[in-house]
Amino acid sequence: MQQIKRWLWSWNEQFSQILLGLILIIMAVLLHHASPFFMTWDNWRNILDQSALLVIVSLGMTFVICTSGIDLSVGAIAALSGVCMALAMHAGLSVELSICLGLAAGAAVGVFNGLLIAKLNLSPFIVTLAAMSVTRGIALILTKGIPIYGFPVNFTWWGSGHIGSLNPPILMAVLLGLLAALVLNRTKLGYYTLALGGNEEALRRSGVAHKTYKTIVYTISGLTAAVGGLVITARLNTAEPLAGWMLELDAIAAVVLGGTDMKGGRGSITGTIMACLLLGMLRNGLTILNIPSYYQQLTIGLIILAAIIISELRLRNAPGHGTITKED
Amino acid sequence: MKRCKGLITVLLLGAFLMSIVGCAGKTTTKQEPPAQAPKAPVADSKVAENEKILMDQLQPLPKLQQGEKIGILVITLANPYWVSLKDSYERAAQELGVTVEVMAAPTENDAKSQLETLQAMVAKDYKGLIVSPIEPFNLVPGVLAANKKGIKVVNLGPGINVDALTQAGAHLDGRITVNFEEQGEKAAQYIVEKIGKEGGKVAIIQGIPGAGQSEGRTTGAKRVFESIPRIELISIQPANWDRNTAYNITTNLLQSNPDIKGIFCCNDVMALAATDALTAAGKRDGRYVFGVDFTNEAKEAIQAGKLDGSIAYSMDAYAKAGIILALKTIQGMDVPKQVNSPLAVVTKENIKEYETWH
Repeated sequence: MQQIKRWLWSWNEQFSQILLGLILIIMAVLLHHASPFFMTWDNWRNILDQSALLVIVSLGMTFVICTSGIDLSVGAIAALSGVCMALAMHAGLSVELSICLGLAAGAAVGVFNGLLIAKLNLSPFIVTLAAMSVTRGIALILTKGIPIYGFPVNFTWWGSGHIGSLNPPILMAVLLGLLAALVLNRTKLGYYTLALGGNEEALRRSGVAHKTYKTIVYTISGLTAAVGGLVITARLNTAEPLAGWMLELDAIAAVVLGGTDMKGGRGSITGTIMACLLLGMLRNGLTILNIPSYYQQLTIGLIILAAIIISELRLRNAPGHGTITKED
Repeated sequence: MKRCKGLITVLLLGAFLMSIVGCAGKTTTKQEPPAQAPKAPVADSKVAENEKILMDQLQPLPKLQQGEKIGILVITLANPYWVSLKDSYERAAQELGVTVEVMAAPTENDAKSQLETLQAMVAKDYKGLIVSPIEPFNLVPGVLAANKKGIKVVNLGPGINVDALTQAGAHLDGRITVNFEEQGEKAAQYIVEKIGKEGGKVAIIQGIPGAGQSEGRTTGAKRVFESIPRIELISIQPANWDRNTAYNITTNLLQSNPDIKGIFCCNDVMALAATDALTAAGKRDGRYVFGVDFTNEAKEAIQAGKLDGSIAYSMDAYAKAGIILALKTIQGMDVPKQVNSPLAVVTKENIKEYETWH
């Protein structure tokens, strides 16, 4: 009996992933029936390619949300890092150095967010909201609002090149995904990330440098957003100050859809990746079926809503959370 | 009981997803060949004139009524201009006996989604594609994919950067456009004429900086304004084709320059916002606002005397020429390097001649 109970709870732990897996399969079957063009390798490569950006950015977002934080600045960071790379390349720096500079710019915004949130104990929502505006503003000032075009081929390779029959963004997403899963589930950093969201006070009392770890988490998010900026800039061969518009919302949606708890302390990299694939598949499928873009927006909004409802129900089911008392 | 709730949620979500796919099945069948004859365009000398200039560039015509399937990617159906163009495409497709499917990006500045939409379209069975990019570079990988699959690509409206295409090993099979600089020039000339001898301050409200139409129209208008000493060009502001942004910019311009005389906006949506802002500030009189595209809303505003004018080209002729060009490439015929759509300046004075224009 005890065993069955434990098995059921462990099932509950995987609830989101199993659910997402099922929805993915059902959607794929339905779309396959609705259109003969859906289940082709070319189209699947499109879906993977298009989901890669969201996967990369959502990985960092997963860490942040695990600490019960939020990072609204990722879209703007992606734009800024792309702009930095473009300006560096147009100033004559090598492609590798330019990429490093762009990534450093993204990480710097992450450190800035992290320090304000951890050391000054400010609300992540407000800090990153301000950072979003500041970062977007810097990107607009640097470019004077005009997109920067035309980069060397070994830069655009990062967005639209080929490694075998796959694209670099797909491989980056896979590698970073594996790395993120490893870090979140197997390392001290991952453990503390979850603990920061679960019970920060306990972490502080046990003498862990919790503020440092929090700063690191926001830096990771800044860095993944900057990698996202690399992917967008290289793929479109354009660094736009308005790139990654609303990307933060897509990333938050994917993380929540993937079963990470907005209240922190619980998160899943696998879930995040599956959710990104689901959103990518949905957008692609709706296009293939000629559904106007108005309905695409509506659908994606409803899916996010459904995800939050599921996340909330799951939370109430989970052991340890118990029922909500009146004092809360 | 708790688990039961979870189950209900799953079922609801499932049902919801299925309903989406269900809807999809219905919408795809919409473009079947027409049962009744297509709505004949109103016999209108101006439209006919416009169409003739365009068709002369496209002789000899391809074989029609062959039922070719053509995919069309416009910028966004959140802008009335592209919605009208979509309607024109669909009317032209009925007349020419082809099937068209029109797709778009969700918003005007979502260059990434537009590429993704194109990539999904390339995976389908179109013979040809007619694309209008948000930016000169964003669709290049999609065009390359279409080239590889042997799908003909015609570029209509804002241009795809040819150097970037060549660099990527891609090419366009045809190109049709309006001369954006000429649009800006014609509008600016009208504003300058109206302001008259005493001269005064003018401003330009742009679309998205870097976007082909926006840059072209700005360059044209700027050239005219700057060539005339009595005209002072005080500001060029990007409003990203957005009505609200254009409204705010106009309000701000009025704050710093209450004596501004003319505003050229790179499209009608922004021009309408500019006249609204002027009216709200009680400063509409004696000021001239010009837009581009001649949308239905602009037509009504010009008739009502709210907007001073707009630059028009027949949307029906334009869309029809686009499809004919695509058909010529599909049927392996030679096509001119670039086809240009003729322009018309519609103002309060001559609006009567353009009432049935589309």
